[in-house]
Amino acid sequence: MSVTQGGRSPVYVRPMPRTWWLRTRRYRRFAIRELTSVAVTASSVILLALLFALSRGRDAYEGFLGWLDSSGAVVLSAIILAGVLYHTITWLRLTAHIQVVRLGRRVLPRHLVLAGLLTLWVAVSAIVAYLHIWL
Amino acid sequence: MGKRTKMLRVARYRPERAPTPYFDEYEVPYADDTVVLDALNHIKDDIDGSLSFRWSCRMGVCGSCGMMVNGEPRLTCAAFLREFPARSAIVVEPLQYFPVIRDLVVDMSDFLDKLKEVKPWMIRAEEKAVEAGEYLQTPEEIDVYTQFSGCINCMLCYSACPVVGQDPEFLGPAAIALAHRYNLDSRDEGRAERREVLGQETGVWDCTFVGACTEVCPKDVDPAAAIQRSKVEAATHGLQALVWPFGRRA
Amino acid sequence: MAALLLPVHVAILGIALAAGWLPSDALSYERALDLVRHPITKVYLGVLVALPLYHAAHRLRFVIHHQLGLHGGRRLVAAACYGTALAGTALTVVALVRI
Repeated sequence: MSVTQGGRSPVYVRPMPRTWWLRTRRYRRFAIRELTSVAVTASSVILLALLFALSRGRDAYEGFLGWLDSSGAVVLSAIILAGVLYHTITWLRLTAHIQVVRLGRRVLPRHLVLAGLLTLWVAVSAIVAYLHIWL
Repeated sequence: MGKRTKMLRVARYRPERAPTPYFDEYEVPYADDTVVLDALNHIKDDIDGSLSFRWSCRMGVCGSCGMMVNGEPRLTCAAFLREFPARSAIVVEPLQYFPVIRDLVVDMSDFLDKLKEVKPWMIRAEEKAVEAGEYLQTPEEIDVYTQFSGCINCMLCYSACPVVGQDPEFLGPAAIALAHRYNLDSRDEGRAERREVLGQETGVWDCTFVGACTEVCPKDVDPAAAIQRSKVEAATHGLQALVWPFGRRA
Repeated sequence: MAALLLPVHVAILGIALAAGWLPSDALSYERALDLVRHPITKVYLGVLVALPLYHAAHRLRFVIHHQLGLHGGRRLVAAACYGTALAGTALTVVALVRI
């Protein structure tokens, strides 16, 4: 639309399309990143459902485990896992991008910060897995 | 002459003729070293003198020639015609998310106002007298802010940022990056003065870390990093003020 | 943050269990009760389940405003997003207390 400014030639303001996030590859990647938040919420909800089942007794709990065993649940979990993994990895990359790590007078290069974060992630996951399964 | 040519599809806006923008197509000759800006100048010189656009140094340091090229914010003096696919026309439009004054010229007064808001200059409680000598800085102190001082105010980052498009009040990447540059400068004492502007809802907090600004920046300023670090600073300061409201730290 | 820990949990519960990769009693009722009843586990699980809800609520709020372009009712959207996260947290606490 044209907007007249004090008698001067009207400037034209281009409307931003509602589907702006579909228009470039960069924007689409961003949209996917934000959508993976849904996967994160879903995984939280699954854990919550597990805890509720556990709080309601043996039958409820074992019933829930049975559901987790079904092929439908596995497919759903795979999708959620993919989303959560994408979310975690992009989050780690962004953190490495903005976090300045100083060692004395030198600044640690970004790819090393990322390597450190990834190692930390794997280590923490391994510890949790161990506690969850074998302890 | 057998020279290679490419089609340019250029956005026009001439309010004295038509109330809405339209496109004109031009065929331009090019060589390996021809950039979009060269093509535009060729059009203006030899084909259509009515075309309006901004440019100056044509070597990527003045920040004047920013435009959308095939939907991406580019410095037209750095976008080579040979980069683009042979058969299709190259679409040249004014920088996105800014009002268009004419053809490829946008109204940048909003941006300039936002820049002034963050006070991108050295602020000191007391200026040193000239006789007292220079402000000294170690190489390490300079390294801390150098990257962010590279901004040429080309506004490509604003054209990349979807939040700018949605919320015209958002301070935007370059303004915040420049505020950050001065906050990091050991000679500057203006952090507190900039804090309120940065900490408002249309300041750093409007950013959702899309990261497009950093990707399009031709001078590797990395405004996204500047904004996120400013967020951390703003949040930390807010927490400190909550816990220790006696304002000891600047 | 929770982003680091969620993948392994989803992998274990969602994939490893069905694939038969876990020792047979790893997720048995008795063992689960044992593990979860420990106060540290309760705190860990409370944080693990509740925290992502806020993060997701925050992102979802921006998705609604910026990507779906719905600008009206900012307060309502914020209340709905964070309110849901709060509700989820409350439910988590209830479940954990009852175990």
